[in-house]
Amino acid sequence: MTRDEAADDEALVRASQRGDQEAFSLLVSRHASSILSVTTRMLGPVADAEDVAQETFVAAYKALPGFQLDSKFSTWLYRIAVNKCTDVLRLRKPGTVSLDETDENGGARWEPADDETPHWSLEQGELAWELDRSIQALPPLYRESFVLRHVEGLGYDEMSAILGVQRDTLKMRVYKARNLLCQALAHLDGVRR
Amino acid sequence: MRETDADITGSERLVQQFIDQELSGEDRVRLLVQLGRDQALREHVIDLERLALDTARLPRPAVPDDFVARVMQRAAPAPSGWRRALDALWAPRSLQWNLAGAAAVAAVLLVAISGIMILPRANPQSSPLAATESPAPVLVRLVVLQPDAKSVGVAGDFNGWDPRRTPLEPMSGGAWTVTLSLPPGRYEYMFVVNGDEWVGDPLAVEQNDDGFGLRNAVLDVRPPAETTL
Repeated sequence: MTRDEAADDEALVRASQRGDQEAFSLLVSRHASSILSVTTRMLGPVADAEDVAQETFVAAYKALPGFQLDSKFSTWLYRIAVNKCTDVLRLRKPGTVSLDETDENGGARWEPADDETPHWSLEQGELAWELDRSIQALPPLYRESFVLRHVEGLGYDEMSAILGVQRDTLKMRVYKARNLLCQALAHLDGVRR
Repeated sequence: MRETDADITGSERLVQQFIDQELSGEDRVRLLVQLGRDQALREHVIDLERLALDTARLPRPAVPDDFVARVMQRAAPAPSGWRRALDALWAPRSLQWNLAGAAAVAAVLLVAISGIMILPRANPQSSPLAATESPAPVLVRLVVLQPDAKSVGVAGDFNGWDPRRTPLEPMSGGAWTVTLSLPPGRYEYMFVVNGDEWVGDPLAVEQNDDGFGLRNAVLDVRPPAETTL
């Protein structure tokens, strides 16, 4: 997002805070793709993802009067979206999922994509499908960091503001996520190179 | 869960910084030298770069056409007909008055308010149902401002709450009016705009809850002999 876009967002936020619903609908339209992208990468391409994306905007709308514009609107939205995804992930595996619980390799809940025979004729779409599935199999803490860094292209400072985690910790999570994904996709090396 | 980089080797740290494009010029040279010597490290860097590239190229999910509309419906649902009626009633609006219209409405308002307010309250028991005699009816004029309305009716105790039986006539300046001939008693009523929007009477001096979240206007009609004029 450019500085101009952020300024536009700020004007739309202020108009929304004055009760201008048209302004808020413009904000939704502007950020729908990013938020839906995050929820889909975090939760998988299921109805949950779209519903959570909608809930993100609804929650933002309700909390808008208290939003002081002390961060970018997009940062604030990402934070809401990630929190909502975390809630959904906790509910999916009641009693077994602690988002703080991963072993040092992230291996405890790491599930390899599968043990299929490598498809040497994989098209790009199939590669994307494998990559997508592997991202969704990452431990949630690694997944959220990797998605924000490499799917959304955010910097570590903004990620830190979104997730409330220090930069170095985020770098470590992204580092581990990258290594896990490289391992998971190793069987595709023949078609990726 | 270990989340410090204490265990990352110097080369791994360089590689991660390279992927994140955070290397200084000197460190970049240092890494390139290492990559020239170490094939495994070189392949690892290529894998990571390819991963970053493939991830950035992942197709973004399509946003459904009605996504914004559904968000807005959930975030700020359209108010009910009753709510809209109330909002319309109390929302500030600018009226274009012409002098003749203003004078006419002012006169009517004066008559209507006088007719309602200056009647004595000596007979609080009176009601249409309680009346045992047939006293002379009293003329009461109701006025409501609805500049945007196509039709206005009034529904109340006096007409079986059927607004079709008592339509109001438009006047200039957005005012609507009707003159009723009512036996003395207390009546509750509401206006009905465009056939389905129930609105209260902001000029009524007394109002009662209607049990549905709105307020009925109360019209206290007294016999002419009890007026204090």
